[in-house]
Amino acid sequence: MSPKSKRELAREHLETAREDLEGGREKDVINALFYAAEAAAVALAEAHGVETKQRHGLKADAVTELHKKRVLATDYGPTLRELNQARKDVWYEGEDPDLDEPLADVLDEIEQLVEEAEKTQ
Amino acid sequence: MNPIATHTTDDLGVAWKDDAAWQERLDSDRRRAQAVQTTAQRAFTETVVERALAVGAEAVALTGSTVRMRRTAISDLDYHVVGPRPQVSDLPGDVDIYASDRDAFWKKLRGGDDFVQWTLREGCILVDSDIFRDGLRAIAVEGLWPNPGPKLERLPAHMKIVGRLLAMGDRDAAQAELRAALTSAARAVLLGAEVFPLARAELPEQLRMVGAERLGEALRVTIDTEPSLEDLQRFLDVLAQVAHVDVRT
Repeated sequence: MSPKSKRELAREHLETAREDLEGGREKDVINALFYAAEAAAVALAEAHGVETKQRHGLKADAVTELHKKRVLATDYGPTLRELNQARKDVWYEGEDPDLDEPLADVLDEIEQLVEEAEKTQ
Repeated sequence: MNPIATHTTDDLGVAWKDDAAWQERLDSDRRRAQAVQTTAQRAFTETVVERALAVGAEAVALTGSTVRMRRTAISDLDYHVVGPRPQVSDLPGDVDIYASDRDAFWKKLRGGDDFVQWTLREGCILVDSDIFRDGLRAIAVEGLWPNPGPKLERLPAHMKIVGRLLAMGDRDAAQAELRAALTSAARAVLLGAEVFPLARAELPEQLRMVGAERLGEALRVTIDTEPSLEDLQRFLDVLAQVAHVDVRT
């Protein structure tokens, strides 16, 4: 079986996040949204020749760069960084989720990013 | 520096005891922070400190692998802030800011949190209203030692995430989460053996010295290489043995 593409993974993580949100599993939502956003970021970065390696920060930087190049209408970089910090606080430090926006709004934003990734070949 | 710091207050020094000694610790830490960072990292740290102070932080430290000079390809720049979290989501790069208020700092320290102790023992203290100094005094005088319990309690939930990512086939995400879970388990094992855990890249060697080679090797491989999904599953099984959890249920 061939590995899934980043676009497929992005969509799958996003749908997992939606299910977790409906089930009230906030901590799981944060993780799933983060990985949906990262997979979408890598798909877009690869399509436009931007390096991300294995680093979370570079993936956030990549979408900011693609926004500056007018590939993306929105800069999703700050949201990626906030999600990364939130998941570390939640899963590594045992803290409660602390995001500026409601999770449902973050999900809508990340869905737009995933849709952008799905337009890539 | 002590490569395998054990359960002792000897290596804490006596800097907390008087003002002159504490000032020397602060001066030394600032020089060390300058020495261990690149020019870009120093500029980033200056921005973090400025923003932290602007929102009312009373203490800031540079922590993690950078101060141990053991950065890896996936290392963040780590900070510990006592006070409101400064906004840095507009800045590029990999950064991790742990922020807590004064009450949470004490609750964490006396509750056995190892990250607070890490800051005080190994970190470069850049700003301090005296809360870090008082924290160090508390460790020495009260003989505080971190409690590995909460890390072990969080492991099953963390392993469930890894299992979910493996089942989905997202190798990159599974590796990142497994590495984090292995790191947490490693720190718990070392604390249980009365060895203070150092930077992530140093943990495999520390684990070897306490007889936890398999855990150390699994961690090393997830730091230095890109293992297959099958290898990641195998390492998750190693982790499950440490945590006494059946991850396949």
